[in-house]
Amino acid sequence: MAISDVQEYCHLTEADVEAIGRELDALRERVERSRGAKDAAYIRRVIRAQRWMAASARIGMIVAAPLDKRYRRPLQAASAVSLGLAKILENMEIGHNVMHGQWDWMNDPEIHSSTWEWDTGQPAEQWKHSHNYIHHQFTNVLGYDNDIGYGVLRMAREQRWTPANLGQPVYNALLATLFQWGVALHDLDLDAIRHGKKDPEEMRRQLAQIVRKGRHQLVKDYVLYPALTGPRWKETIRANVAANLMRNVWAYLIIFCGHFPDGALHFTEDELEDETRAEWYLRQILGTANFEGGPLLHLMSGNLGYQIEHHLFPDLVSNRYAEIAPEVRALCEKYELPYTTGPLHRQYGQVLRTIHKLTLPNRMTKDDRPPTGEGVTIEQHQRVRHEDTHQRRTELGAWSRAAGRSRA
Amino acid sequence: MVARRGPQPGVTTASALFAWEGAPDGVPSRRLVTRCALARVCGACGRPLGHPIAFVGTSDEVARNAFHLPPLHDGCVDAVRALPAPVPLTVVRTAGFEFVRPGSGDADPLPRFVPNSLL
Ligand SMILES: [Zn+2]
Repeated sequence: MAISDVQEYCHLTEADVEAIGRELDALRERVERSRGAKDAAYIRRVIRAQRWMAASARIGMIVAAPLDKRYRRPLQAASAVSLGLAKILENMEIGHNVMHGQWDWMNDPEIHSSTWEWDTGQPAEQWKHSHNYIHHQFTNVLGYDNDIGYGVLRMAREQRWTPANLGQPVYNALLATLFQWGVALHDLDLDAIRHGKKDPEEMRRQLAQIVRKGRHQLVKDYVLYPALTGPRWKETIRANVAANLMRNVWAYLIIFCGHFPDGALHFTEDELEDETRAEWYLRQILGTANFEGGPLLHLMSGNLGYQIEHHLFPDLVSNRYAEIAPEVRALCEKYELPYTTGPLHRQYGQVLRTIHKLTLPNRMTKDDRPPTGEGVTIEQHQRVRHEDTHQRRTELGAWSRAAGRSRA
Repeated sequence: MVARRGPQPGVTTASALFAWEGAPDGVPSRRLVTRCALARVCGACGRPLGHPIAFVGTSDEVARNAFHLPPLHDGCVDAVRALPAPVPLTVVRTAGFEFVRPGSGDADPLPRFVPNSLL
């Protein structure tokens, strides 16, 4: 099936597709041209606020330690919330966007995609591969985009059902609460390891990196800062667990609302062949979902409520997505393209329904999203990807991480 | 992401470089160029890019500020310039770049890099 056969844009002529592409190019160029001091001031302000929140949380717990229970408990609780919010802000609006290279143009070596290391279990280098490349290049392509279910959940009907899927509600709750560790293992590509397609040397290198980063995170939150609060170390550990839990559940919620509400389509790898820029834009629009909310909600979700705009322009500064969203939406309306959006609770409701429905075999439930194609399975595409990205170079008698063929 | 085979002193064959791997005609693989662009790794050694980012290109590419070879470390530039090339390659340095996929009407059919903060 070629991308032009996807039903949602069958009605478009080739000229329409190109016209849409030109309008989106113009939007992008406009923001790039006007990007400047005001935007730089914005990200510096967010980083400053985030650091104050984190610092006051850590200090708050130390100051609270010697106090009477009456004063200690509320101060600890406020500190835990402040730390949780600081982690959310750092991961969502700062880390995720800086690592996309959105702020590289500022020429600030500190706020740069090459140097940013974020406050979560996954090493930045692995995130930039699994997220910036695999997820953004192969968005919702079955078997390629590992974000479809994170290797843990059955989120697509094209994925074969097994009795293990009956446990999905439990796996889902575990994934939400332990999200940073799920993400930390993401780039290992557990599915490739299971199929013996992973380069063992690369796997060891990545594991060592994860262990180093994970240890750093654990020592910071569960040894160093608790030690600074002396005999109250147990309470500090509890507060830090709460802060990490807050961040985990929030990040999970926002990320799942980006691609699993009903309107977001799945694609097959045939649709990637010779894709033009305009077709790439269309695939991003059709595979992605926004959610609605006020400025604070958008800030705390790293502007991923504008997931469609983010997928169209992943390296455009996030503070400008709100400004271009009405124009992207109007463009979709003009060309009768779906622009999937809704309040956060409704979008997540649809995600939950999919998770629960797909615990059962397909014949027992009804599909809520447009089908990808007759007889399409995720497994057949996984095989192609394994060949592609974990190819064995027999002529060298060794493994290679890179694909020999040129398919991107 | 680290590739085990990076540029080594004296190595001038294209297939020793990350984005050129498996490319028989000395042209980097389009898939790997895209990967370098998005995962922000060096086209020569496959490791995460630094600051600044270097691009090498012909005088025409420099004039148009649109490059086709993947981003590089400053220290990896020489390995790429040592490859056999019809014309000498110039180095430019930038803090950031835009990655532009080809459109169907473009005269240029390849994905390209547009440095946005030349140093
Ligand atoms: Zn390098």
